[in-house]
Amino acid sequence: MAAGYLWFIIILVLLIAIIFIYYFNRFVILGNRIDNSLSQIDVQLRKRADLVPNLVKTVEGYAKHEKKIMTEVTNARKALLSAKTLPDKMKAGNQLQNALKTIFAIAENYPQLKANENFLQLQKELAAIEDKIAYSRQYYNDSILTFNNSVKTFPGAFFARLYGQKHKEFLKIPTEMKAVPKVEF
Amino acid sequence: MVERISFHDEIRNNQIKSFFLVIVIFFFFVLLGYVIALALDPGYFFIIMIFSIIFSLSYILITYYNSGKIAIASVKAKEASHTEHRMLYHAVENMSIASGMPMPKVYVMESEQINAFASGRDPKNSVICVTTGALKKLSKGELEGVIAHEMGHVANYDIKFMTLTAVMVGLISIIAQIFLRSLWFRSDRDNRTGIIILVIAVLMAILAPLFAQLVSFAISRKREYSADATAVKFTRYSPGLKNALVKIKKEVVPEKDKKRYSKALAPLFMADPYKKKIQNLFSTHPPIDERIKKLERM
Repeated sequence: MAAGYLWFIIILVLLIAIIFIYYFNRFVILGNRIDNSLSQIDVQLRKRADLVPNLVKTVEGYAKHEKKIMTEVTNARKALLSAKTLPDKMKAGNQLQNALKTIFAIAENYPQLKANENFLQLQKELAAIEDKIAYSRQYYNDSILTFNNSVKTFPGAFFARLYGQKHKEFLKIPTEMKAVPKVEF
Repeated sequence: MVERISFHDEIRNNQIKSFFLVIVIFFFFVLLGYVIALALDPGYFFIIMIFSIIFSLSYILITYYNSGKIAIASVKAKEASHTEHRMLYHAVENMSIASGMPMPKVYVMESEQINAFASGRDPKNSVICVTTGALKKLSKGELEGVIAHEMGHVANYDIKFMTLTAVMVGLISIIAQIFLRSLWFRSDRDNRTGIIILVIAVLMAILAPLFAQLVSFAISRKREYSADATAVKFTRYSPGLKNALVKIKKEVVPEKDKKRYSKALAPLFMADPYKKKIQNLFSTHPPIDERIKKLERM
């Protein structure tokens, strides 16, 4: 009889331990997924920043008088590369994106620039990166949603408090980007 | 105002239903084995079983680990080139980012109609194949929708599931065949119950492969809806896939082109390659109008 109770207690303890380990790992896995999607955004932002010097050089060849926008783009790129925190990065990223938009708008006035092979190539590549940034942001927010759901719902909420896991903030997507989600060309 | 369908619910729903379908196949499989065991003499039974176990195990392992390669080879697809198929690569890269899944291998197959399929045993070993017709006729947003649908099959583990179902269906028909052939070597047992069991066993051996085929078609139909739902989750833009389906519905394909598609592979594709108009138990795909309607509500 005593042995029966002992087994019951051992199995119960094991079961509880497994549940504790499961939730610990769950938070770690979901947290890692967020970190991973964050670095994906970073990769795309950096790729875009790397194309900027090339673009500036190409545009300068045709549109010498557009100094102001050129410095704006260069500064936004610098701000992006030196940004350390996520909000700073996003801010610099949006700034760069707006500056690039202005450049492509200005290019409309320079037919020779518009016909330049290099320029067209860069324009296509930047548009493709734009899509990837949008998708990586979306995945980042998806990962945050999954994480927050498991932190806030029972029984995850209990373990979240135990392990000191708090719900995380979503990435704010600029309103103008939501209005025009995909560019067809 | 039509109630919006939550894609999370759609995915969960489909997964539960397909799970039950597999359970049904499995029980049928066990039942078949049991009846065959009753019908045959134990002496022969063991010899046959040893052969069929060795055979079926190697069959399962080979098809399971090479499912992607087999599918790609059977449609004679070529690996997509980064320079020639830039738009395709961008679409796949985008969807791999949006889904958080590893980049699948990308293939292109020669065919005039708009179609695509995904295969492989898990997301790390997945392949996506698109027809040249799809690359020619679809816009960027539509192609992205189609790729998202295929990534949906990968993300929902449909590719693994479909591979397993195909392996099971194949196995059931092989076992049924082995049993029917083995009847020639059966020693005579002249009692009544023996004959009744034998008749039941023969009937089952004939019906089982057919039944398994029907179940696998039913699974395939269900899976298309869930992949559509997942695709919208990835793109957040249902008109892309919807417009692609509308184009598929409208396109006219020459008979010659339909012959490129083998019967065994047809359920894998995102739309019925044979463009059959009639819906019945043998349909591998749900009606395209129904899919378009569901997408409009998402």
